[in-house]
Amino acid sequence: MYKLQPNHPITNEKPQSVIRTNDGACIPFDPANTDYQAYLKWVAEGNTPLPAEGAE
Amino acid sequence: MASIISATTTSGLVNTADNSGDLQFQTQNGANTITLPNSSGTLATTANLSGLGFKNRVINGAMVIAQRGTSAVTTDASFPVDRFQLQVVNANLSAVQSSTAPAGFNFSTAITVTSTTSSGSNDRSSLFQFIEGFNTADLGFGTANAKTVSVSFWARSTVAGTYSGNLSNAGGTRTYIFTYTLAANTWTYVTATIAGDTGGTWVGATNAIGLAVRPIMLNCGSSFQGTAGSWIAGDARGTSGSTYLATTNSGAVVNITGVQLEVGSTATSFDYRPYGTELQLCQRYYQTYPGIGNGNRAIWSGYGAVANYAYWIFKTSMRTSPTIAGATLGTVDPSSPEAVGVYSTGSNYAAFGYNGSSYGQATATAEL
Repeated sequence: MYKLQPNHPITNEKPQSVIRTNDGACIPFDPANTDYQAYLKWVAEGNTPLPAEGAE
Repeated sequence: MASIISATTTSGLVNTADNSGDLQFQTQNGANTITLPNSSGTLATTANLSGLGFKNRVINGAMVIAQRGTSAVTTDASFPVDRFQLQVVNANLSAVQSSTAPAGFNFSTAITVTSTTSSGSNDRSSLFQFIEGFNTADLGFGTANAKTVSVSFWARSTVAGTYSGNLSNAGGTRTYIFTYTLAANTWTYVTATIAGDTGGTWVGATNAIGLAVRPIMLNCGSSFQGTAGSWIAGDARGTSGSTYLATTNSGAVVNITGVQLEVGSTATSFDYRPYGTELQLCQRYYQTYPGIGNGNRAIWSGYGAVANYAYWIFKTSMRTSPTIAGATLGTVDPSSPEAVGVYSTGSNYAAFGYNGSSYGQATATAEL
């Protein structure tokens, strides 16, 4: 399972990573990162990450 | 003495014979000598000499570096030592760094079959290493100029048998199986010379997977079986007749060390690199941070008037932006500009939001 990150609290920039909930790891949106590749595959299989805390 | 071939400054080339069986080359009237003794040996070929700079493309082949610790691992895609992954598909395995080693080595990776499983067609458990494309591109695989390579390693098993290992490309569309025989409880030096693959699609000089080296298959289902000794256009990792401990021998232990992949048609002695060099090579894929607080190092940066960031500058550039994990790292806290969590990462750094409390150890992972 994965969890989205909120926008930056000051700049409102969009997050550059996603959290893997089972170990709290922060996975950057980097196409060469194998954990990000696994996340994309997980999404492509029809899964949806948890919303960011504080998100509407 | 020795039979002598001497380049003199007076008489030109002079040959002097004797019956010792040794052969000596001389220059400058005998001032400079090289002697080939009356014993067996192998002279390195030009191809091997050209590989001296980074002869062994396998990192941590002697299983010395274990940054993740020395506890046994059991799950798929876990690392008993740096750079070597345990692949677990329908198997019950435990892998750990071991001090059991052949002469000249101090460590191995020991894999224990904790219990057997029934064979499945998709079984493909192994100990393996992905080698980065930047470190394999010169092999020319997938081109007419593909170079011959030699794989070598030491193996020991509690069970005698014929075992399978292999090389493959990233996509598993090209594989070369080799087999070898082990006597029970005996360290054996295994070598396999493999003509470079002129076919298929291989990753070039990129940070993606260049090739996979699998010294041993612990199980291998029918969907992944093939014939040894030639390149296969598919994902075949072991032969049908090999010993697969994970399906047959509960309690069996196999040790692997000294894994080397080099250019050339002869497997040569293991390429010992300095410990610090080997560690740095490993840290391109995984490294740890001791944590913030109690005097541990960090570089600080204010963000606007309120937010602070602690920058973890990596010890060496990583393969790509790493995954950051640590006991106290969580999501960026939207309620506090001095947030706890990872703000951004690159191949050289990670920026943590910092709220003044201590952080525990963090890890950065950029494995293939």
